[in-house]
Amino acid sequence: MAYDPIFSDAIIFASLLTLLSIGLTLTYITTRVPNFAHASFATIGMYVALVVTHVWGLVPYVAVPIAFVISGMVSLALYTFILKPLIRKGATQAIQMIATLAFDLVVIAMLNISADYIVRTTQISSREFTLRSYDLEFAGLPAIVIVAPLTIAILAVTLHTMLRKTRFGIAMRAATENSDLAETVGVNIKMVYSVSWILGGGFAGIAGAMISLWFEGDPNFGPLLIPSIFAASIVGGFLSIYGAIAGGILVGLTEVLGTRFLAGEFGAWLIAYRPLIPLIFIVITLFLAPKGLAGIRWSRLWRHGARV
Amino acid sequence: MALGSEIIFVIDLLAIFAVYVIVNLSLNMEFGYTGIPNFGKVLAVGAGAFVAASVPGRIFAGLAGIEGDYISENILIVSQINVWLVDNVGIGFAVFFLTLGVAAGVGGLLGLASSYPVIRLRGDYLAITLLAFGESIRIIGNNYTPLVGGTLGVQVPDPLAFLPDELRFTAATLGLVAIAIAVYVYSEKMIRSPLGRMLRAIRDNEVSAEALGKNPRDARIKVIMISAGIAAIGGALYAFYVGSTIAFAYDRASWTFWPFLMILIGGLANNKGVLVGTFIFVMLRKLIIFYKDAFEGIVPFDVIWLDFLLLGAILIAILLYRPQGIMVEKPTYTIPRKRKPPMLRRMLDLFR
Repeated sequence: MAYDPIFSDAIIFASLLTLLSIGLTLTYITTRVPNFAHASFATIGMYVALVVTHVWGLVPYVAVPIAFVISGMVSLALYTFILKPLIRKGATQAIQMIATLAFDLVVIAMLNISADYIVRTTQISSREFTLRSYDLEFAGLPAIVIVAPLTIAILAVTLHTMLRKTRFGIAMRAATENSDLAETVGVNIKMVYSVSWILGGGFAGIAGAMISLWFEGDPNFGPLLIPSIFAASIVGGFLSIYGAIAGGILVGLTEVLGTRFLAGEFGAWLIAYRPLIPLIFIVITLFLAPKGLAGIRWSRLWRHGARV
Repeated sequence: MALGSEIIFVIDLLAIFAVYVIVNLSLNMEFGYTGIPNFGKVLAVGAGAFVAASVPGRIFAGLAGIEGDYISENILIVSQINVWLVDNVGIGFAVFFLTLGVAAGVGGLLGLASSYPVIRLRGDYLAITLLAFGESIRIIGNNYTPLVGGTLGVQVPDPLAFLPDELRFTAATLGLVAIAIAVYVYSEKMIRSPLGRMLRAIRDNEVSAEALGKNPRDARIKVIMISAGIAAIGGALYAFYVGSTIAFAYDRASWTFWPFLMILIGGLANNKGVLVGTFIFVMLRKLIIFYKDAFEGIVPFDVIWLDFLLLGAILIAILLYRPQGIMVEKPTYTIPRKRKPPMLRRMLDLFR
């Protein structure tokens, strides 16, 4: 059987969603505010990749660490200059969510301005661009098909080790479980939260830098992804990194392969309804297991069957 | 008699103002008075516009016996319909009001569908789900051509086609303003009714409202459905006014974010504040667009993004420094049960 490019699509999309959903979860567990600007942090990564390959003429993978730093800093700015003062003033969660929406608009505007600026100064296409041809090749496949899942694996293991084995990771888990108690025993909550936001935004940047090697980049890419990212996080339970990984893989693979399968069965018009898949995931999860995959007690489910 | 550019400016300003007042009042009902963070306002507005773009044209084409594929030959068919409508004013208005009804119904049902699974959960889950539903409608409208013509958009038939060009926009604007006033009166009456009192009770203290035998879940669903219906009417009116619908015009910025900005400028849970906030915003944006050409050439990018940047920054500043807005929420007095004052007095009281 010949290798079908749809599998590359599925693997890369699922990896991207996983990475974004880990990042979103990392920021959500700290301040408990869903960050609607998260998807646009990935778009920042895409533009870093565009500049690195087209303007500087380097291998696209050089963009990954740069994107991590830039998106991480933007994310930290959102937390430090907007959310932290709002929390201090006792703003409700709804107001904080509106603030992230406003920040998203600002980021999208900045991205569009940069896109226009890139076009005018360097005469390269900066909307609906693709960097696919710049990718390296590995065993007859584009390298990104292997690099994307590998990156997820490495980051997941690193994150796991950090959270379980290091002093900082333990402090972080304590701060997210019960911030008052953690503060009492001397954990610097503000610092821990800031690091969380840097990591969350940075992961989104990495995802964006890598995804531009396969999918089309555009300043308005973020809003297209938002339903899928939040679906992945909700399926994962929103409070667990492991849940986010499971949710990202599940939603990502289903979106690509499920649409392809259904379109093959019922006709190509179904492709237009692909955005319904994340919505169906959200609805089913909230009906059956509002705490997501991470909230289901698998061992009990295993022993007692459907009676749980 | 041709209209001067200043008059066109004012008429257009009033029309956009009226549409946004309708949408914002519905949002204020949800977010201001009930505390539902509906980040998917665009869902209902878009649904209304999509109904206006897909339903009446097909009805008219059927009635007038115009053949052809409604989407691919859209411009031709709609121009034939508009010619036909000149002689069939009554049918035109009947279908127009029918469309508004269908839009309200579809909007209400979508409101129910998007909130029912999450209504019992925490506020942020509700917000995320509503936002995700709102984002999806545009993507589907963009990809699924038979609905509203995909990326090319469709024309909307004009029930006012019988009027000469100069009068058409004036009449349409007056109609919009009249409907906006009706929505204002309805919304003021609703928040003064027992239902309105219950909504504020649920917003301020859900547990005690529940202890008094109120059902927050049902009340929230009711409000979401009512306000989605109103917003859908707003969307349909906008589509009729502009005369065309294109899916990507129904994005999060225009129909979710800006309404939030407007009601936060004016003051949450204060319908007069909504009027003030909407007016400031619509005026500001009109002026930006009017003077946009002056900036063109100075900056090396499209000026529209400066506008986004400015509005986003304004909202963040409001949230940080004046979250209560220009007009602070005041206690709402309920309408007395006995000895009702004359009709006109009661109407005027609503604006006091």
